[in-house]
Amino acid sequence: MAKEKHGSAIKLSRSDQIFTVCNYIFWAFILLIVIYPLYLIVISSVSDPYAVLNGEVLLYPVDFSWIGYEKIMNYGTLWRSYGWAVVYTVVGTAIGIFFTMLMAYALSNQFIGKGIVNFMIVFTMFFSGGLIPTFLVMRDIGLYNNPLIMVLMGAMSVWNTMIARTYMTTSIPRELYEAASIDGADHFRYFFRIVLPLSGTIVAVLSVYYAVAKWNDYFTAMVYLRDNSYWPLQTVLRQILASLTVSAGDVAEMFADDYTDVAETLRVSNVVKYCAIIISTVPAVILYLFMQEYFVKGVMIGSVKG
Amino acid sequence: MSTNVSATPNSTSSVKWARVKRRLSRDWQLYIFVLPGLIYYIVFHYFPLYGIQIAFKDYKAVLGINGSEWVGLEHFKTFFTSYMSWTLIKNTLLLNLYALLWSFPLPIILSLLLNRVGSAKFKKFTQTVIYVPHFVSTVVLAGMLYIFLDPTNGFVNILISALGGTPQYFMAEPQWFRTVFIGSAVWQNSGWGTIIYIAALTSVDQELYESARIDGASILKQIIYIDLPTIIPMAMMMLILNSGSIMNGNMQKTLLLQTAGNKATSNTIGVYVYTMGLTNAQFSYTAAIGLFQNVISFIMVMTVNKITKEASSISMF
Repeated sequence: MAKEKHGSAIKLSRSDQIFTVCNYIFWAFILLIVIYPLYLIVISSVSDPYAVLNGEVLLYPVDFSWIGYEKIMNYGTLWRSYGWAVVYTVVGTAIGIFFTMLMAYALSNQFIGKGIVNFMIVFTMFFSGGLIPTFLVMRDIGLYNNPLIMVLMGAMSVWNTMIARTYMTTSIPRELYEAASIDGADHFRYFFRIVLPLSGTIVAVLSVYYAVAKWNDYFTAMVYLRDNSYWPLQTVLRQILASLTVSAGDVAEMFADDYTDVAETLRVSNVVKYCAIIISTVPAVILYLFMQEYFVKGVMIGSVKG
Repeated sequence: MSTNVSATPNSTSSVKWARVKRRLSRDWQLYIFVLPGLIYYIVFHYFPLYGIQIAFKDYKAVLGINGSEWVGLEHFKTFFTSYMSWTLIKNTLLLNLYALLWSFPLPIILSLLLNRVGSAKFKKFTQTVIYVPHFVSTVVLAGMLYIFLDPTNGFVNILISALGGTPQYFMAEPQWFRTVFIGSAVWQNSGWGTIIYIAALTSVDQELYESARIDGASILKQIIYIDLPTIIPMAMMMLILNSGSIMNGNMQKTLLLQTAGNKATSNTIGVYVYTMGLTNAQFSYTAAIGLFQNVISFIMVMTVNKITKEASSISMF
């Protein structure tokens, strides 16, 4: 789609000039608001803990220091949960993509009962069992305190299924199927040999959507995993970050080797929070930056259907 | 239709049956494609729907979902007559209503303005930046709020002190809870919310702008008469989809931002169901509250859908 600049050819009227200038000022202000909190986390994570605690770190790192990162290296619980988060994200995303692509392929074809299947899927968007009935059912079928719940719960999303279906109906020509079936290809062969290789874009879109959702999920583990040795990163982070105080046990673990000076320990544990934010958020942001164009594509595909 | 198979079939039904059989034998593989997803939806969505019956029962773990005794509407009565219920409903409605009042229009305004940024480079950079907060997890967002809003060394209070104000205990006082919640939601989601509107705006025919300019329409006029009508259908869809959240939204974030101090406003139905249900094991009672919540959400979505259908012939169903 060709995009040209507005108003580049014709001289702008006075009111339009004012508008344009105000618009740029507005966006500079928005960018500041969006970036500053993130920037503050980054500079705090590499500053001296005292300076951070005294509120001196506001514009640039003060007394540059890696101590927070050094301490977080000892934090065994955090790294174990990091490992689990990677496992849950990779496996969960793979399952999600596979199930979604299969379902989307079927729904992009005509078959008896399609209407029912379609309705069953869309209905779940608007009415759900709710937390407690879901919890009891999961317990009954043996998924409580079972790490499998982490990859199965929310494995598919209705929205993603619809995007994938729209992609297949609009981007893969029907004639390809006609041709392939004349050559004797059935649905299986057609799907794996032709549809999947042509679906790079949509698989990328789905993988980013699913992966970010899995990586950032803290709640599923909190509800379904009693045994916190299975907890993923976000659930462990919640204990460190989302409370008014850091628990003594966490601090003790971080400082297992030199747990002597309590004041010193608490001071440094504050900077550890910033470091924990960085190491947990960077993977998601990097994935986003690399896959950026696919997000927009995914949304475009989604909006074609309307 | 298996009922059409009989010993002496009449001609039309046998033709119909033959056609069905032919289609089934041609398409049987498609049912295998459907199977994994269908099983997923049945187990993770339809089993729990079946489990809703415990809202009308006195759930006992040993008796199970099916075996527990029916008690009718008792749990609903308990909830609606408890002194908590009104506060919970009010907190839930106010939080989500205010959240929607901000989160719905802001992405529209932002995308209309961003669409008018002339420099393609600046526009691209801005888009890249304003989507980033969406990738920050809810836990990290909550963590950032606890850090930044700290009464002594959080930068917000440092700023307030520097400007001569009094530092506030943002996370521990009920009057700040909604502001903190919605302010951070605006920061996290407004940028990301523009993505669909920006996508829709790329479909505008450039010649339309040309002729508008030639006719002397100002940028503001072009936004009102060209851009806005382009994205209204999309906006209506978003409104329908989000209307269910008024009763049902934002539970996971509320749970993270709730402290002993702000409970008076942060205790919403969702959080109450979580704590009473999972911590205190009052399964049937909280399932009933959850059902009430879901029914209201469902009615909301259907009503908004109907209203937008009548008013603008835009609807989901």
